[in-house]
Amino acid sequence: MEIVVIKYNAGNIGSVANALDRLGQACTVTDDPDEIRRADKVIFPGVGEASSTMKYLKDKGLDKIIPALKQPVLGICLGMQLMCSWSEEGDTPALGIFPEKVKLFRGSIKVPHMGWNSIRFNPDGLYKGLQPGCYVYFVHSYFAETGDATLATCDYGTPFSAALHRDNFYAVQFHPEKSGEVGQLILRNFIEL
Amino acid sequence: MIEIIPAIDLIDGKCVRLSGGKFDTMKIYSDKPADLARQFRDQGVNYLHIVDLDGARTGKPAHIGLLKEIAAISGMKVDFGGGIRSRESFKTVLDAGADRVSIGSLAVTRPYELEEWLSDFGADRVILGVDVKNEKVAYHGWQSESAISWQEFIGYWLGKGINRTFCTDVDRDGTLNGPAVDLYRRIIRQFPGIDLIASGGVSGPEDIELLEQAGLKGVIVGKAIYEGRLSVSYPLLPKEGAGGGTWAGGLAKRIIPCLDIRDGRTVKGVNFVDVRDAGDPVELAIRYAEEGADELVFLDITATIDGRKTFPLLVKRIAKVLNIPFTVGGGISTFEDAVILLEAGADKISLNSAAVKTPDIIDRLARSFGNQFVVLAIDAKEVLGWEVYVHGGRIPTGKDLFEWAREGQERGCGEILFTSMNHDGTKNGFANEALARLSEMLTIPIIASGGAGKPEHFRDAFIKGKADAALAASVFHFGDIPIPELKRYLYNQGITVRIK
Repeated sequence: MEIVVIKYNAGNIGSVANALDRLGQACTVTDDPDEIRRADKVIFPGVGEASSTMKYLKDKGLDKIIPALKQPVLGICLGMQLMCSWSEEGDTPALGIFPEKVKLFRGSIKVPHMGWNSIRFNPDGLYKGLQPGCYVYFVHSYFAETGDATLATCDYGTPFSAALHRDNFYAVQFHPEKSGEVGQLILRNFIEL
Repeated sequence: MIEIIPAIDLIDGKCVRLSGGKFDTMKIYSDKPADLARQFRDQGVNYLHIVDLDGARTGKPAHIGLLKEIAAISGMKVDFGGGIRSRESFKTVLDAGADRVSIGSLAVTRPYELEEWLSDFGADRVILGVDVKNEKVAYHGWQSESAISWQEFIGYWLGKGINRTFCTDVDRDGTLNGPAVDLYRRIIRQFPGIDLIASGGVSGPEDIELLEQAGLKGVIVGKAIYEGRLSVSYPLLPKEGAGGGTWAGGLAKRIIPCLDIRDGRTVKGVNFVDVRDAGDPVELAIRYAEEGADELVFLDITATIDGRKTFPLLVKRIAKVLNIPFTVGGGISTFEDAVILLEAGADKISLNSAAVKTPDIIDRLARSFGNQFVVLAIDAKEVLGWEVYVHGGRIPTGKDLFEWAREGQERGCGEILFTSMNHDGTKNGFANEALARLSEMLTIPIIASGGAGKPEHFRDAFIKGKADAALAASVFHFGDIPIPELKRYLYNQGITVRIK
């Protein structure tokens, strides 16, 4: 099976490749549209800033390619936020795969939301075999609201979408590649989808 | 609030559990079910769900004596089921003191008989058990599947006045795989007035919360209680404990072991019994991750420039094997140094002397790679005020800790790692006052460092010091405080921690 990790100007794409490698799964890191379209599965990772990243995606034509993909796609962190309809970060219209909007954490909480937090989910699909309320690693200052595409939730001052899902598009706000055994199980479930 | 209803399943007068309804999976939880019921009562339980499995098998209630004993316990109500197939059995169970009779198979196989009893004894003396398998109602200990959908079945009996219903997704019962929340949501959506009790699949407090949110009135729990995953007094636990801890999770306080590296090897001996090479940072990193460390910090204390060149190679090896986040620091003096470590796979870098010398490096790194990438490490000593030191605590800078920390935040660092030189190495606890002041004045997370000697010190750093994370080296390396024990201790103190 061919997994492609979309390469763009974001940090720590290598850690996703490392995590797949630990599961014995090879991957190709690329921004080549043909390679992305041809892959069996696509991972859209990312740490970075929304508006500059959207601009990069547009320059590469990836803003058209990603929403049109038919194979399973997994967005991670900024990848997930850019799959939403809009981000408050830089007032950025995003890919619109999910209807949810992305907003900045506000109130008397520390930002970024950094560290391990527990998530609620139905134990099937990507979450098959996970213990209820298990902990995963988050690092983010913006969050996707809960809505129709919400598949898992987390609380940090406010409930927010820890995961989204629509058709072949999956996305997680946390970092499965840094979330210990729990994260590895989620990635394995994605590989085995 | 959702009511927790312990299940007492009886075989040969003992409280047992079967997994998936199969007799060959039997586990005995108590020889004295009445004593168990009293214990539950003392813990605040006032309703029990008793299932006479012998009766279910033979077709005649076998434990009426036990029912009488348990129903006589003051403050305790019970429902009782299993083998109720005649009007006589039904009446015997009510006479023995049951609040309700639980009826399952009979409602499927002989509905007209049940209807008669409802008019004789009242629909409020029945609790309807609905076992769902593939959307259909199952019966006879789940061995038979009917052609009746749960919608038809529940709708029919609601129409006859039975409002209290417990529902089991047959494939989930006793498996700790999580309750059938989806099914329950659909039932409640279809029958909004129903008094629905969940049964099966509960593995812990998170499930209870999910069920409560889904609108269930109660939940029958067996295995999770008997195997210690759920306390029956769960709703009585404080939602907000000391230090903001909650049973239902929330952002966990982080425990961070720190490893000093010289020439690619860990400096201090590390006291893990089964580690082959205590000097190999990679092997230790994996071990710490397995023990439940939330993050790791690697500090390069190599003295020579040549020796430093090997550090990125080590970082690369760590990044390949480690599945939790890690920070690297020590000897980062330029923007380019940090980029090399980022590319090697570090999640974060910690800046110390270099940031004091050229504060602009914080801004540049944060702008390029995000705030989360930059940890500002500050060593400070309190004499009159708190003064910042650099170069391993050898050189005073004249800078004030709090002003420098605020400047760091404004420049874009994502966290402050504050080491108190007064406390470091003393094993007498962290600098909680200074920590609390930092935590209150800043909006970014604070990592406490210096002074850890006992589990209580970590608790104090989180509660009094309001720290978001605590870092230590020797207490972990020498095995004085095993991380799983530390986490368990903090959990019991009401602090939110990630327990593996």
